[in-house]
Amino acid sequence: MTPFENIYRPAIMKIAETRDEAPGVRTLRLEFQDPADLQRFRESYRTGMFGLYGVYGEGESTFCVASPETRNDYVECTFRRSGRVTTALASAEKGDLVTFRGPYGNRFPIEEFHGKNLLFIAGGIALPPTRSVIWSCLDQRDRFGKVTIVYGARTVADLVYKEELEEWGRREDVELVLTVDPGGESPDWKHRVGFVPSVLEEAAPSAGNCVAVLCGPPIMIKFTLASLKKLGFEEENVYTTLENRMKCGIGKCGRCNVGSVYICKEGPVFTAAEVAAMPPGEL
Amino acid sequence: MATLLYLESLSDCFASWRKEGLTVLAPVGEGALSGFREVERAEEANFDLLITRTTLKELFFPRTEPMLGYRIGKREIETEEFMPPVEGRIIFGARACDSAAMAIDDALFDWDYHDEYWFRRRESSVVFTIACREPDEFCMCTSLGLSPDSAKGSDVLLRPLEAGNGWQVEPVTDRGHKALSSIEQHLREGSGATAAPAEVPVKFDLEACRSWLANKENFESPFWREISERCIGCGSCTYLCPTCHCFDIQDEGDTYQGIRRKNWDSCSFQLFTMHTSGHNPRATQGARWRQRIMHKFNYYGGKFDVDSCTGCGRCTRECPVDMGVTETLQTIAAKQKQSERT
Repeated sequence: MTPFENIYRPAIMKIAETRDEAPGVRTLRLEFQDPADLQRFRESYRTGMFGLYGVYGEGESTFCVASPETRNDYVECTFRRSGRVTTALASAEKGDLVTFRGPYGNRFPIEEFHGKNLLFIAGGIALPPTRSVIWSCLDQRDRFGKVTIVYGARTVADLVYKEELEEWGRREDVELVLTVDPGGESPDWKHRVGFVPSVLEEAAPSAGNCVAVLCGPPIMIKFTLASLKKLGFEEENVYTTLENRMKCGIGKCGRCNVGSVYICKEGPVFTAAEVAAMPPGEL
Repeated sequence: MATLLYLESLSDCFASWRKEGLTVLAPVGEGALSGFREVERAEEANFDLLITRTTLKELFFPRTEPMLGYRIGKREIETEEFMPPVEGRIIFGARACDSAAMAIDDALFDWDYHDEYWFRRRESSVVFTIACREPDEFCMCTSLGLSPDSAKGSDVLLRPLEAGNGWQVEPVTDRGHKALSSIEQHLREGSGATAAPAEVPVKFDLEACRSWLANKENFESPFWREISERCIGCGSCTYLCPTCHCFDIQDEGDTYQGIRRKNWDSCSFQLFTMHTSGHNPRATQGARWRQRIMHKFNYYGGKFDVDSCTGCGRCTRECPVDMGVTETLQTIAAKQKQSERT
């Protein structure tokens, strides 16, 4: 018989760095302990893919890989402490060992974005998947046209990756539009106040030769899609990433499908046109 | 001339296989307690059962299965991988609907990622299927394009002799041939008349059902809520289904050591799809029953070119509130026919 290959075996990861992003939101940088696992990851990871992050004794949780494909020596994930696994992950410290299974799913086809203008739109805790694409593109900046990032959160405190937002804000080759919901601003807040869809409409990026990447909570997605339509974006040029509860991540456990589409295998990255074809009642 | 296996030599066959180190499993017990278990002698088996209550699938996809053991030290994590058992097995006396289900699930467990927990057991098992002589009111294999003497998923097909004293033997796969060569001395050449296979009436028009389900407008039909109003979400239909394969992964143990397990799960349960945020894409029992029917008769076929149902009838036979796939599909077929008329 051929050697036993356990598709449910996770890689053991050491926490190389932890960073608190916002209240209850933490980023972990994980390093592979087994060079063969690292090798597999480097060969297969592309921006948009996800993984199952785990703590033995607690279980596994699904989030995107928040680090870009251009920096594939490690895995970063950003999550909100909310359940059993995320509480265990949030309590882990630098040097502790956790697990990672993946990368799984499809990806943002960034080769197809070459030569185009890029518009990134994210809300709240949905910046992590967007950030993976942003850095994947910024790390090969000359392949793309104008880069615009529109990011909003409920309050100033809820904005994640604050240092990176500052860095993007300083760059001349990036236009950064930050906003917080009305009432979420602090006295020294210098950016916009308002919901992402209306701020987007004010910023009015041109839809010509432009691809939009949109990630956020369902309600934000709904209204932002309407705004993008007003700005002239075709559904085929708007990409988003979906999430659902998963256990296996590889199409076997039977729960993440929306209609006939398995988020884990056929997603998590879809165009707005593909999402529009899914039964709305199952999203 | 045909190859015959007489009931009186079955215990000798079992002994021959066992001498080779094979485990022999057969249908045993009655009613609610019936299922496939290891046997030594033919008398222990119950070949009078139309169908065991539990299905063949648990011999390949156990209710709970350890996958990984973990032990957490100060600076390292030791893990141990649990391989599925690979000792050879003879499963003697499966029904055509259960055997076909294994072939259907092969597609899922091989979908890009090869699940060795399933396939190692599949490869080390030889399935002898006995064609049915009498159906009950819940049987519906013929509605799914199968038959009581279908050889799908079987390694050997046995047709009962009219006299009831044995079977005519038809090898289907190489594995089946090999298992038969071990019991060659107990087989006879002869021409005993075989009993006609059970006549199972067709209960619904599957093509009509497929058309109705493929119509996107029907996804939001009030029918889903109406038909599932009495569903109590117990999950029996999924656990007793030979093709249902959904599972959960859970850690059993503590922070220092334990076992990661794959456990059966069910799309009937509210928690199955519930997000951490509390949002649930399938928040109602109607949405969950729709998922089950759509998965079996629309999604699965779209991906793997075969429906995920073999018509064993257990979902209807064992439902505590008298629901099941049969009534749903009959209603759906009628709806489709009505819409075609108008």
